Amino acid sequence: MCDIIWCKKVKEDGTVCNTVNYLDPFNFWNWEGTIACAECGTVYYIHMIQGWMYRGPEEQPPGTKPDILPVYADKPLEGYVRYRPGVEGRTRPYLCLPRDIYLGVPDPRRFSIRGYPVRGWPNQPPSTGIAGSAGFKWEIEKLSPEVWQEFLEKKKKGEVRDW
Amino acid sequence: MLIKQGKKGLDKKFERIPLEDQPGPKSQEEMDEMKMPYEEYCRKVFDVGNEFVKPTALKGIRWLSTTMYIFTPHSVTNLAELGAEVIKIEMPRMGDPMRHTSPFNEAYVYPLHDTRPMTGTGVACFNANVNEYYISMDYHREEIKEAFYTLVRMSDGLTQCYRPGTFDRWKQSYRYLQEINPRFISVWGGGFGYGPKIWGGSYDILGQAHAGLASITGFHEDFGGHPTKSTNWNIDWYSGTQITVAILAALLWRRKTGLGTKIEFSQVQASTRCLEYGVPLYGRFGIVRQRWGNWDTQLCVHGIIICGKSDYPNDKNPQLRDEARYVMVSAFNDPDFKELCNVIKRPDLYEKYKTHKQRVEAEAQVEIYHELEKWAADKSRSEVTRILKDAGLLAMPVYNDKEVYESPHFRQRGTVRWQADPWYGDAVVHSTYSAGLMSKTPRRKFWDLRPVGGDNVKIYHELLGIPLSTIKEWYEKTII
Amino acid sequence: MGIDRSFLEKPVSEMTPDEYRLMILEPEKDTDHICWNCRHFKPVIKNSNFPPADIIGWCKKIHWPFYWCIPEHRIVKKCYAYEPIK
Repeated sequence: MCDIIWCKKVKEDGTVCNTVNYLDPFNFWNWEGTIACAECGTVYYIHMIQGWMYRGPEEQPPGTKPDILPVYADKPLEGYVRYRPGVEGRTRPYLCLPRDIYLGVPDPRRFSIRGYPVRGWPNQPPSTGIAGSAGFKWEIEKLSPEVWQEFLEKKKKGEVRDW
Repeated sequence: MLIKQGKKGLDKKFERIPLEDQPGPKSQEEMDEMKMPYEEYCRKVFDVGNEFVKPTALKGIRWLSTTMYIFTPHSVTNLAELGAEVIKIEMPRMGDPMRHTSPFNEAYVYPLHDTRPMTGTGVACFNANVNEYYISMDYHREEIKEAFYTLVRMSDGLTQCYRPGTFDRWKQSYRYLQEINPRFISVWGGGFGYGPKIWGGSYDILGQAHAGLASITGFHEDFGGHPTKSTNWNIDWYSGTQITVAILAALLWRRKTGLGTKIEFSQVQASTRCLEYGVPLYGRFGIVRQRWGNWDTQLCVHGIIICGKSDYPNDKNPQLRDEARYVMVSAFNDPDFKELCNVIKRPDLYEKYKTHKQRVEAEAQVEIYHELEKWAADKSRSEVTRILKDAGLLAMPVYNDKEVYESPHFRQRGTVRWQADPWYGDAVVHSTYSAGLMSKTPRRKFWDLRPVGGDNVKIYHELLGIPLSTIKEWYEKTII
Repeated sequence: MGIDRSFLEKPVSEMTPDEYRLMILEPEKDTDHICWNCRHFKPVIKNSNFPPADIIGWCKKIHWPFYWCIPEHRIVKKCYAYEPIK
């Protein structure tokens, strides 16, 4: 169950805000306070009990400080316009982000963080044995000489560490 | 009194061992060595970093692993790290589905298999199938059946994770295998096991949820909390280790009786073992235990508090910038709690809650932790830790992975170390060497993973003696 | 005594938070427990077949932070922790 606040505020230029602010149930299951619209910043008072809207949303006078921001918002009437989590000042800061970068696609790596080679990029040479049998050593000097060279250069420059 | 077996056998007389044959120091030098400081002694006997020259406890045990994901593979990894020879059997061309399960689809090592050069093995697969030989086999094909049974004849046991009855249908279950190898130990690990939910699958999250563990993890309902799953698959790792315990006991039983065992292991029942007093409490009083978050229901102060300032205020990684703020504090006995109250300049709290019986009350805990966090609101995590440690109290920052990696304690003990995987290159090893030190037969990691079918020739040809031409033919027919 | 649910006739705008919560948590049972009118009571909700059949709900107060299962056939008539719903 996820309640929403569909903001119908008429903006200064005469258009309607029409933003859907999502109230994620984990946060708003039992919750009372003020929350701002991600698009126009209008502050609403809500009081939710057991995931249901008991009071509100009631528009608050301009200048009211919101207690919290929505986790996510979109504008369904305008296609795929949305505010993802963690947009500063619009949606709630997303504290549990695992890293500062997030790719979501394979991230090929040739070296570990301490600078030694890692077999982390696709299209490696095929195995030399029968039925896919593999040896017990990655002969990097033979199989990927360019990475080996790069490693030696890194080593010369002192970019290879023990830890 | 030290005795040794008499010449005529156990049930006859026992005689004394002469003093010079008894263990213990025989000279002044030996005496000095025995009196070396404990720290030095530990360094010497464990000799961290030189595990590979020592013998292994399970040498001579051969185990088959027809497993997937983490739970059942981990039960076998424990054996492989202790020296058993493990043969992991995977689906041809495809491998363990865990290979295709990587965090956020980002981190892979290559190659997976000759036929799929652009596909890698996810790093989430690491640590679960250590030191094993990887062969591929399609059990459905008649041609390969005999090879499977030959492996069973030559092995001590098998761990499998298919749905209950599947291996039975394929004539690969304990009932069939004990006919050809009465010493065979057969392990099934899965979700529910026999019973009304026999068809339920097995997932870590299921183990956490269905056994009631998730319902007592997280913050209390009154504080806005919800039942919470541990982010990692800890019940997979936990129940895998429980299987290993059962396997080791079964091996010992086999030494005594010469007979194998069937081990049936339901993952959802495994985690009831760590529910502590919850279910007995219900049974006696009809009281349902609830979540108590970062605090403790039996001890106070004994929990995790949040500090106001981050140790890395300017780091761009939110994991460090925003979250490196938690400290674990323990001061539950009276003098410690008194000292803690003095440190936070609230001696009145001690006056109010003089006994542990008083402080451990839920209402008291709410007040005490609230005061602690108020005190820590203008301090960073390291400041809080330092102040409390200086006062002689137990306080430790809540580490994240980066800090675990950098911890000198773990580095010195070899818990976290860099080791080159012979096939996939440089890798931090944090799993094998963290599972306890053993002076005589320590765990060790030779390699983490091998490509799918990477040892097909080694096992099918060198161990079973199947001609290379047959192996080639099987490979072309995708039987292996 | 039974369940005093006369507040259900009020419009939502006039309900107190306690009353609103109890309107949502429509209970399965109807007994003579004093608990029905207590604000620390958490009922077994309608059509839920999971909890044991012989309880009417849980008391959130007397064993807080744990919950006590209130047996259906042991009628609680008075209770030191009783607080009427507001």
